[in-house]
Amino acid sequence: MIPWRHYAMRLHNPLRPTAPTPGPYRRLGDATSTSMCARLRPSMAADAPLSPIWAGGESSIVGFFRRVLPGFFMVGFLSGCVTATVDEMTFLEPTEGIGDASVVILGRRHAPDYETEFEFIECIGDHIRRGDKSITVLHELQFINDLYPWFEPRTAPLRTEDIDKLLEHKPVAEKFAELKLEYMIWIDGSTVETNSSGSMTCGVGPGGAGCFGFGTWGNASEYEATIWDFTDQAEVGRISANTSGQSYMPAVVVPIPIIAPVQGAACDSLGDQLLKYLSAKI
Amino acid sequence: MLAGCGAKQVVVEGKFPPPIMEPLPITVGVVYSDAFKNHEIYDEAAGRAESDWVVQTGGAQMVFWSTLFNGMFEKVVRINDHESLHKHEDHVDVVLIPIIEDLQYTIPMYTNVKVYEIWMKYRFRMVTIDDIHDHDNGDLSYHPEQSLADWTLSAYGKTPTAFMQSDEAAVNLAAVVALRDAGANFITSFERVPDVARWLDSREGME
Repeated sequence: MIPWRHYAMRLHNPLRPTAPTPGPYRRLGDATSTSMCARLRPSMAADAPLSPIWAGGESSIVGFFRRVLPGFFMVGFLSGCVTATVDEMTFLEPTEGIGDASVVILGRRHAPDYETEFEFIECIGDHIRRGDKSITVLHELQFINDLYPWFEPRTAPLRTEDIDKLLEHKPVAEKFAELKLEYMIWIDGSTVETNSSGSMTCGVGPGGAGCFGFGTWGNASEYEATIWDFTDQAEVGRISANTSGQSYMPAVVVPIPIIAPVQGAACDSLGDQLLKYLSAKI
Repeated sequence: MLAGCGAKQVVVEGKFPPPIMEPLPITVGVVYSDAFKNHEIYDEAAGRAESDWVVQTGGAQMVFWSTLFNGMFEKVVRINDHESLHKHEDHVDVVLIPIIEDLQYTIPMYTNVKVYEIWMKYRFRMVTIDDIHDHDNGDLSYHPEQSLADWTLSAYGKTPTAFMQSDEAAVNLAAVVALRDAGANFITSFERVPDVARWLDSREGME
């Protein structure tokens, strides 16, 4: 008989769900704090900071179980609660919309200890595109490649005054004109795991597999969006979103993940506010 | 599911965009040494829990720097043997020789930080084509002391851990980011290197 093998599992969330819009929002420096318990949207990417399966420091099989097994069981299941605080200060709102001009959303990646996730930027872009199909949101990677090397972490403009220096390069100025770029939105921040505890034991044998135990972990997101009016070369707004939540995973044979969609809530919060700012329809 | 014990090998690959800039109006010859073209580092495992690592960057270095130089200078020619040296000796303004001095990497296993990082240090030498000598065996050489300019350049790339991403893929991505950073650094600093600036000024004076 093949002996049962036991693996210690620290719990992680391999899916990143999103939350419904926390609201209502207020403008000009007001902060809104909301608590929500959201339904899972399994199509989103990971919420918790994850390490690759073969990252070392633990056996490969344990790594596999840590990430993949919960994913099989959790799709479409429960979600945890997220607290979101949104703070906004915007002015010179384009009341008629932005017409056929375009917007680019870029992540800040010059800090040594964190970098704004590419998938988070993509999430906000998708949120705005879904909300108002008339708004052209440029794809971040394509934009950075098209304008190499002027938007690398080392060279990206940090202040609106730096735009002038960029426009001194004729091909860069021509490219901006071609893209009809009206707004450049910088997102700075990241999502981190704040705590984790509990343990879970899983076994695999010829008769089947199962887990027993309980785990919990917390995530926190802190993001700030800075809106630059590219034509006027001026900063026209700042929106910040801080979200946090605690996820749980009890397991009696089958792990039942109760995931707090922390990064998804931050994406929706920022995305909604940016959409409100840019769109004439909302 | 089983982890192997062999060396982890990364052949760095990536797509590198050309720089968007007005090319400097000079014709540059570039000498890539064999050490540059075939650059790799071998890192032996320190313990049984670790793996040997081989990171080969030579191919990516060639693709990257060729793309960058072609976008940065009005005309770029490769000088790799006796024939190309004499073919271009009349119309090359200056010759660039890139050298990889150091490459270091870290993975989360070593640092307990969920980031893969690569550091690279380059040395660039700028010489006149007359200072390049060819030998009977086809090798090219130059006197480092005769350089018009000689400077170092550092680059850094990092990539966070990601779901379903192997160590090798993450190190590759960090290397691509480091190469892009090296290019950004080279473009923004080239005309500020004092000896390069002096040489460019002297050319303008002559025209």
